[in-house]
Amino acid sequence: MIALENLTVRFGGIVALDAVTAQVSAPVSGIIGPNGAGKTTTMNVISGFLTSSGSVTVDGVDPMQMPPHLRTRWGLRRSFQREQIADDLTVAENLWAIADNLAGSRATKRADIETALEFVGITAIAGKPGARLNTFERRLCDLARCVTGNPRLIMLDEPAGGLTVEETARLGDLITAIPDLGRAQVLVIDHDVDLISRICRETLVLDFGRRIAFGPTSVVLADPAVKAAYLGIEADHA
Amino acid sequence: MREILKSLLLWVALVGVLALALGHGKPPNVLGLFIVSGLAVGSLYALGGIGLVVLYRATGVLNLAAGAIGAVAVMVAWQLVQWGIFAPLAWVMGLALGPMLATAYGRTLASRMAWREPVVKAVASLGFAFVLLGLVSFLWSDDPRKFELPTDKAAVMLLGLRVTVTRLVVVGATIALVIGISAALDSTRIGLQMRALANNRRLSSLIGIPITRVETLAWALSGLIFGFTGLMFGDLVRLDPSVITFLVIPCVAAAIAGRLQSLPDVLMGGLAMGVIESLLTLSDTFKDVRPIAPYVIAALVLLLMNRGRHLTFSGED
Amino acid sequence: MRISRSGLAGLTLAVIAVLVLPMAAGGQWLKIFTSTTAFALAAMGAGFMYARLGMVSLAQVGLMGLGGWITLRLNHAYGFPFEVNLLIGAVITSVLGMVLALPALRMRGLYLALITLMVAGGLEVIFTAHQFPNGGAGFWGVGTSFSATMRRPALGQSDESFLRYALVIAVLGFLLIDAHLRSRPGRAWALIRRSEAAALASGVNVTLYKTWAFGLSGLLAGLGGGILAASLGLLDAATFRASESVLLFALVVVGGARFWLGAVITAVLYRVAPGLLNNWGVDADLALVFFGAALLHAVITAPEGIAGQIFGLFKMEAANDRA
Repeated sequence: MIALENLTVRFGGIVALDAVTAQVSAPVSGIIGPNGAGKTTTMNVISGFLTSSGSVTVDGVDPMQMPPHLRTRWGLRRSFQREQIADDLTVAENLWAIADNLAGSRATKRADIETALEFVGITAIAGKPGARLNTFERRLCDLARCVTGNPRLIMLDEPAGGLTVEETARLGDLITAIPDLGRAQVLVIDHDVDLISRICRETLVLDFGRRIAFGPTSVVLADPAVKAAYLGIEADHA
Repeated sequence: MREILKSLLLWVALVGVLALALGHGKPPNVLGLFIVSGLAVGSLYALGGIGLVVLYRATGVLNLAAGAIGAVAVMVAWQLVQWGIFAPLAWVMGLALGPMLATAYGRTLASRMAWREPVVKAVASLGFAFVLLGLVSFLWSDDPRKFELPTDKAAVMLLGLRVTVTRLVVVGATIALVIGISAALDSTRIGLQMRALANNRRLSSLIGIPITRVETLAWALSGLIFGFTGLMFGDLVRLDPSVITFLVIPCVAAAIAGRLQSLPDVLMGGLAMGVIESLLTLSDTFKDVRPIAPYVIAALVLLLMNRGRHLTFSGED
Repeated sequence: MRISRSGLAGLTLAVIAVLVLPMAAGGQWLKIFTSTTAFALAAMGAGFMYARLGMVSLAQVGLMGLGGWITLRLNHAYGFPFEVNLLIGAVITSVLGMVLALPALRMRGLYLALITLMVAGGLEVIFTAHQFPNGGAGFWGVGTSFSATMRRPALGQSDESFLRYALVIAVLGFLLIDAHLRSRPGRAWALIRRSEAAALASGVNVTLYKTWAFGLSGLLAGLGGGILAASLGLLDAATFRASESVLLFALVVVGGARFWLGAVITAVLYRVAPGLLNNWGVDADLALVFFGAALLHAVITAPEGIAGQIFGLFKMEAANDRA
């Protein structure tokens, strides 16, 4: 379970996150909101790229106590709005690049990588150089990196960016299947409301850094306050 | 204003401490002599540094060809004088090459790298520097030359040191530039646009700031400063294209002292560097390596800039 | 263990060079080729760091001078064999390089380039003031009345055998970089180049790996400097001016920072070309114009450099040599 408690982030005079509190327990949960709402900022805090006040705990553990690069070893995975595949490396090497930093023997890591490739369905292109991958393959490779090595928390930031409808559907299926792989909980940011409503059991809605709704996705999406935030109009009971 | 005063205090304190330590036991007029001499040297570094920072803030290009541009300007000015052209006209014509070369590079080559990282733009400017240096070295033989200005002959006595008017011109010009440019950046429209551009190029273009016009102005202005710096280096240091080209390195040190953004700090830092370098003559251990002063100070400034930095990422993220 | 076509070509060339070159070259050319080998080592160091990580070092020749200075000083102070002096010199250069670069490693790339420029300037001042050890007394080891010899390695006493020795060291240096690229550091570097944030999020200790890369590049510079010292017997401050470091880096980009062939081309352009041009009656200053233009071209349109274009022609890119 991910517990956000009064999480606040300030950049100079701007409050990017304003005392956000939520207990996120669904296997796959979403974070949505208009641009600038603080969705990526939330992930950046957990990744360790920003200083914050308030607290974040994952299954009772405070990842903020660890230096950012050690959180991966602990079990944190992250994808970004733009895919982050190293052109210099093949698909398999891209996965090795993350496996390098996990605990375990070389044999265990090799097995983990094979499992991840198998799960995402890209074993066939394991030897393909990063520079030659198309957008979908890159997104899949990103996802494979995220499921390598039995992670605890996977944060996906707009994982379907640049994908067609079919590709998005496939990606959605994969994300839904992640919790069954191991112990991982998944957080997804996306603007595609259909995708979110299909794969996320719970959703957190942010606007201007504040939580404006949290709960079962269908309920949240029907909330007038959420609609108002997206359309920029005043809600009746804001 | 408060920031400037704080900086001033820091730089003066640094120089003061070193002056006391090094000048211990020496007569005060000797100390004064070295300080004045150091101010003269430091103002040259500061002059170059100001041109570098003005350009960097507006375009993200740290122009390592600044020295080479100056070398071209002064060699042409010298040659025109040799050919009998009326001296002040020759200087102006040489000086004009500064903005011309800089703007030509800025509009044709630099513009093709506009969206790339600053380090790449700086590396490219090295190419321009070598082209210019190669041409100048090719066109003029290796003989020793002198570039002279009439202000070299007039001098004043300051703290026991004979200071030529040329050196006073350099100090005066540097101060005037810092005040003038800072004021322009603060109160004119184009100054505002330049600050916006320095802050965020992408956003600036989106909100309709005429990027090309602002950048051209920055290239031209910095080119003029580089040309003037070249003439001064040619007069006060040595008229040698290679030497002048690589004097960009201590000018970069002065630019770093200003953290690549604050003109007053470039001035104060540059002057401090010159004075400390000069004061080191008083130390038996360090007098042979005194030209290292600007580099050590720049390195210290970088260290301080780095302190308290949590995480930073290069490129866009 | 895959060997790519370009790697195979490289190893073949290396074998040929080690066996044939020292015999074929005569007189003055032996020393010139040895110098070229030393600069090729340094170029490799600066090159891989720029190509794989975008890190610019404008102090590489200066660091060669540092390595050479330490090797010379040890040679005159103690009776260690050449290999020991060379290694200690290279390691200390590597460590000092890392220490000097560390403040800038967590800042934008430009600042690393600038601090190395400051280091180059500083080293120039020191070398000009104190020259290089020649067996004299004191810390600086410079005596005016005599000049002691620099001991060469047992396997490389003559100019011919020392060229062979230097070539072997260069090949080992290259293999060292290659070993890094194929394993964990290489993967970490690739991630860092793509995005430091993504690398961090993948568990890479970014500062550590950037520092390590700089240290490796410094190690190679130090080795090059030591070789230069043994080849020439005595080093001169003018060889290690800041302008030389800047020029070498420019040529690293022109030659093709990414490839072993690029390092060779860089060294040849740097060390051999100006002399050759003079022999053919072409003003060496024009070479500078060409270098500058080539650098601009390389940065703006052809980041692979000359080596990249050659390999592209023969379709000889290595397996992990994708753009």
